[in-house]
Amino acid sequence: MNKTIVIAKREYRAAVRTKGFLITLLLLPIFMGGGFIVMALTKDKVDTTDKRIAVVDQSGQLGTYLKTRSEERNGRDIIDSASGVKKFPAYFIDLVAPDLNDPAGQKLKLSDQVRNKQINAFVQIGADIIHPVPGKEQSRIFYYSENSLMDETQNWIGYVLNDKIREFRIAELGIAPEKVRDLFYWVNMEGMGLASQDTRTGTIKEAKKSDILQTIMVPYILMFLMFMTLMMSAIPLLQAVMEEKSERIAEVLLGSVTPTQFMMGKVIGGLAVSLTTTGIYIIGGIVSIKSMGMSDIIPYNVLPWFFAYMLLNIIMTGCMFAALGSTCNDSKDAQAIQFPAMLPLIIPMFVMMPVIQNPLGSFATAMSLIPPFTPMLMLVRQATQVTIPIWQPIAGLAGVLIFTLISVWLGGRIFRSCIIMHGKRPKMSILLKQLLKG
Amino acid sequence: MSNIIEISGITKTFGSHVAVDNLTLAVPEGCIYGFIGPNGSGKTTTIRMIMNILYPDQGSIRIFGEEQTGGNIGRIGYLPEERGLYRKMKLRELIQFHGELKNVPNPGKEADYWLEKFDLAPWARKKVETLSKGMSQKVQFIITIIDKPAVIILDEPFSGLDPVNAEVIREVILDLRKGGSTVIFSTHDMSVAEKMCDFIFMIYKGKKVLDGTLQSIKDKYGQDTVLLQTDLGAAALSDIDGIDRVNDFGQMQEVRLLPGTDPQRILEQVIMKTRISKFEMSSPSLEDIFIRIARPEKNNNHE
Repeated sequence: MNKTIVIAKREYRAAVRTKGFLITLLLLPIFMGGGFIVMALTKDKVDTTDKRIAVVDQSGQLGTYLKTRSEERNGRDIIDSASGVKKFPAYFIDLVAPDLNDPAGQKLKLSDQVRNKQINAFVQIGADIIHPVPGKEQSRIFYYSENSLMDETQNWIGYVLNDKIREFRIAELGIAPEKVRDLFYWVNMEGMGLASQDTRTGTIKEAKKSDILQTIMVPYILMFLMFMTLMMSAIPLLQAVMEEKSERIAEVLLGSVTPTQFMMGKVIGGLAVSLTTTGIYIIGGIVSIKSMGMSDIIPYNVLPWFFAYMLLNIIMTGCMFAALGSTCNDSKDAQAIQFPAMLPLIIPMFVMMPVIQNPLGSFATAMSLIPPFTPMLMLVRQATQVTIPIWQPIAGLAGVLIFTLISVWLGGRIFRSCIIMHGKRPKMSILLKQLLKG
Repeated sequence: MSNIIEISGITKTFGSHVAVDNLTLAVPEGCIYGFIGPNGSGKTTTIRMIMNILYPDQGSIRIFGEEQTGGNIGRIGYLPEERGLYRKMKLRELIQFHGELKNVPNPGKEADYWLEKFDLAPWARKKVETLSKGMSQKVQFIITIIDKPAVIILDEPFSGLDPVNAEVIREVILDLRKGGSTVIFSTHDMSVAEKMCDFIFMIYKGKKVLDGTLQSIKDKYGQDTVLLQTDLGAAALSDIDGIDRVNDFGQMQEVRLLPGTDPQRILEQVIMKTRISKFEMSSPSLEDIFIRIARPEKNNNHE
């Protein structure tokens, strides 16, 4: 049997049989989708404690209306009629007469009441609210609370008040309210993909509605998957090779295999590990997406590219990390070198959002054609809804292929000369000299 | 007998340090060749160059009749000086893995055979990290010779082994030689080298200082040594002229005479002081030769 394969087999077994591998395999999707899962779980967890709001109505026209509406709401909407469970908090409105002599003092007094938890918030309605002059304080409505940005109550009050203000304005114009109904019908612009033709039947397929899930989630997941795969297969090679060197396992192995067989065996072992994990995730992902009835978001056309890029990326990165590992004598050396070595993998993560937003822009195009970034960024661009020129993925893949060959060759040379060299870590200049000398 | 390894004029430098200096050596097929020399004298570097792990700066190494390019290391069993095993692997799996790497036809069966032979069978399914140092040594030896290679290179094979295990390994080495293998081993233990080796090669500061059969080496130094056993021990030798150096073994002293000294004169002087139970003219031991070369300027005490 080929010695490279024997080494690869051992690497694969050693990696897959550990508990750590199983745990990572299970935890990764949770970690990856963690934010979304938490959001989904807490979506229906509404705060149902009742809210007491003080209203200082300087216009004198809206306060009472607001109080009436809130009482109606308290009686009608907050309890789920079927189950009897309280779904929303009740709102209690306290009308406070405006203190015209000392408005600032009144604000402070009410603010203190909020701080003492006597009320939850207070609202100040300007006097000129029906016919506002832009910018003036009297033409505005203020909502004061401890956390005024994330507040359902604020939204509801704003909606009720605007509704009433609009009603006043229409009444002044003397138009019947039914006639202006269409006036307030806001038309949304709907984002669509492109229409396409079925190559076999010739029928024209309606364009798909593009949604956030498809535009962002699909590229995001594919890229993240590739990143995590590298984290599980190629990057540990740095540590592993360093350990084999410092524990003198390397020299024992070099009694039966050549350094190149040794290094490639390790890289191929890592490759097999990554094919296992991505295989599990992608099949699992496809099955679960299909079961959710969203099979049309699966980017089947991108998957072959994904595997091609991943394969090359692992060989490219794996060789480099194995070679760097061979230059280290202990874990301190390895730690020092790990972060800089990971930069080519981290940079695509940083620029992912701009690339997803504008996949055809010159920034995205240029970045995705730099070989170390290509596997991740070209993939992201291909996974978005736009059609990128076909030469680009091909040129990108060719670049990656050349780069991979270079890193196998370069990594092999570094590995060969460093793997049994103990003592001080070689300086860059010595490394370069060895590269030339072989 | 043809030469299985031919080293001609190899030199290896690390920075400004010359580790091996213009070394030429021929190892005949089917012999046991001992490499001796003090620490840091170039033994391991020479061995690594034979293994193609290091490349000589100058000179050439031919092995199995062809230039050493690494293609033939599969036919060499190599036990490095510093040993390393995958600690998380189970013992039998590990031996099997190395067997596969060496293209052993039935690695599992071979593993069982050797585990049994070295009394390691009860540990077959234990992880390597649970083994004692001596056991790991034996495992290292097994993986070196599992494919009964034509050439076996052992860097300090007996260090750290108790006499019983050293005996087992010695037997296996001799068996392999009987089977036609050529064995090269380096050692600090001169008595082992003296007993086992057909040829002895000594390297000192990167240069070859001795090379040949034990007899030819000893003949070079002549009969300038007296083995002495007296009631007084080493004290009997104080204040006696004509003695170059005394290796004191406690019960016995190895006395090196100054050139031109008549052993009869020594005998006369010692006999005056004490009772002699042994007085034997001899050629120097390998150990003494080693010390003469490696520490020519040092004092007269054996350490």
